[in-house]
Amino acid sequence: MSTSGKLAEPPDLVSELEPPVEPDAKHMSGFRETLHFALRNRKLVFGLSVTLTMLLFAIVGPFLAQHGPLDYGGVLSSAPTTKDGYWFGTTMQGQDVFAQFVTGLRLLFIVGALGGGIAAGIGMVVGFTAGYRGGVVDDILNMITNVVLVIPTFALLLVIAAYLQVRGILTEAVFIGLTSWPWAARALRAQTFSLVSRDFVDMARMSGRSSRQIIFKEIAPNMSSYLFMMFILLFGGAVLIAATLDFIGLGPSGTISLGMMMQLSVQNAALQLGLWWWFVPPGLAIMAVVGSLYVMNVGLDEVFNPKLREL
Amino acid sequence: MSLLVDDLKVYYRTLAGDVRALDGVTFSVADGEIMGLAGESGCGKSTLGNSLIRFDTRMRYVGGHATLDGTELPIWDTLGMNAFRFKKISIVPQYAMSALNPTRKIGDLTADLLTAHGVSPKQELPELRRRLELVGLDPAVLGMFPMELSGGMKQRTVMVLSTLLDPSLLIADEITSALDVSTQKAVGETLVGFRDRGFVKSLMVITHDLSILYQIADTILIMYAGRLAEKASGETIISSPRHPYTRLLISSLPEVGIRYAEKKLTGIPGTPPGLLNPPQGCRFRDRCPLASKKCLEAPPFVEVEDEHFVACWEEAA
Repeated sequence: MSTSGKLAEPPDLVSELEPPVEPDAKHMSGFRETLHFALRNRKLVFGLSVTLTMLLFAIVGPFLAQHGPLDYGGVLSSAPTTKDGYWFGTTMQGQDVFAQFVTGLRLLFIVGALGGGIAAGIGMVVGFTAGYRGGVVDDILNMITNVVLVIPTFALLLVIAAYLQVRGILTEAVFIGLTSWPWAARALRAQTFSLVSRDFVDMARMSGRSSRQIIFKEIAPNMSSYLFMMFILLFGGAVLIAATLDFIGLGPSGTISLGMMMQLSVQNAALQLGLWWWFVPPGLAIMAVVGSLYVMNVGLDEVFNPKLREL
Repeated sequence: MSLLVDDLKVYYRTLAGDVRALDGVTFSVADGEIMGLAGESGCGKSTLGNSLIRFDTRMRYVGGHATLDGTELPIWDTLGMNAFRFKKISIVPQYAMSALNPTRKIGDLTADLLTAHGVSPKQELPELRRRLELVGLDPAVLGMFPMELSGGMKQRTVMVLSTLLDPSLLIADEITSALDVSTQKAVGETLVGFRDRGFVKSLMVITHDLSILYQIADTILIMYAGRLAEKASGETIISSPRHPYTRLLISSLPEVGIRYAEKKLTGIPGTPPGLLNPPQGCRFRDRCPLASKKCLEAPPFVEVEDEHFVACWEEAA
């Protein structure tokens, strides 16, 4: 018989039909249960709040800025002040650091989400297909993966970025996405290989489920924490690659990113001149976003894997 | 006739050549029949069970037909069989305890399974809850993860899920092998109950445990080295077997009330032949006390009495 004396609240299948019988029941609905374990986890809550704060900053910041990010006209090299809205001070050319910072932060999230998203998407398609199909399909996909893996990605990005006259943030993100997927595909392929031979996958096949359903409903949930971690790492990776490209002067034209801010501050010897407000905010922001994503990922295992949960 | 298998041949591919795990088997299972399938390890029992539902990659279809309710099963066609799996022909696997995805709740899992076969989960829900209660499970298990259930509960859950769409044929592959005797009996009775209530039309119970078959099976089919040896009602197989292998097999079972200190329990000397290069003729020849020259030719599987089939020259004559 069931372990619970009280009739527990039924799952989604059931809750579609009837309202929960007892609100204080032992078993919560899927979403509330996930939320319960998510909010209990300090690493996750910390990482999430830092990331969300930065995201909020990136969304509303540009509306609060009182000057355009590339506009001149402020006092040159002014320290942070409340006067005239130069809250983060000005650059050596009199530009508003706050406006540049929030614009750059917005670009950081766009590059990370798009670049990381494209890389994760390609990695998943290639990894799942190769691992599930095996045989010739695996051989071909694995060969392609290995070829892309040994291409000197950064040099290629340099050449392409230098070749283009007008560079947009989207082009940059797509280039990063198209070149950073191979390790993700390899890792997913290996994971899929190990899961394909499990009993419940065999059972699903004997129940007549299609390959697509088996991949997404049986195999993928068993590595959801891994998939999320992969996206986080690719997101962080894309941000860092973009910052590096921007720092060596191959960033998007017509706007300003955090990497370009650091590049300009270095060119103008901001460090030696003590203009710390110019390079500290962008460096700190990149570190905060990438770092908090990593911390968040560590806390996610418990949320995704019911076996690791402690009551 | 629920299931008709005609001269089915399934070999395993190996580098050394074909392993003839299933070498021409012909039998039928009637509507409402519980057929036990017994034999030593490696005699092709599970190969027969698996070949009816899903070929694994090493298995090679060589010949023969399987017909279920008058429709020929495309057993050689992995994709084509999807239309039959779960709906018409279902399986309770040996590994029932690990057959549920550990990261998904049982209710969600079931909903997926039903949706995949074009059945609305909402519509089946009352029946699902009723059946869970029938096997002694609280319907609240639908809201649980598999790890929250005991091994026995998981097995009952799998049994309910596998039979949810009232399949014509259910294959139970070694499902009592890892259980204690009282649980074995409960599982056996559940299977009979499923048949009596019409959840499944007919059943194929694969096991090497003749005593459980004697309790639940209507007929017992004995296999030896990839071929059929004998098929008859459970009573006949136990009390008056006619194939020498079945006789020796039954006489190897201990009986209650006999002290084996005084009378030694005899086994069957020797081991079954390898199936990579099986011997010519009757495959039991080398271990058979009755073997004669005639046995160099394979004996046919013939009906010697009403509903009693034997593959032995001694009996056919």
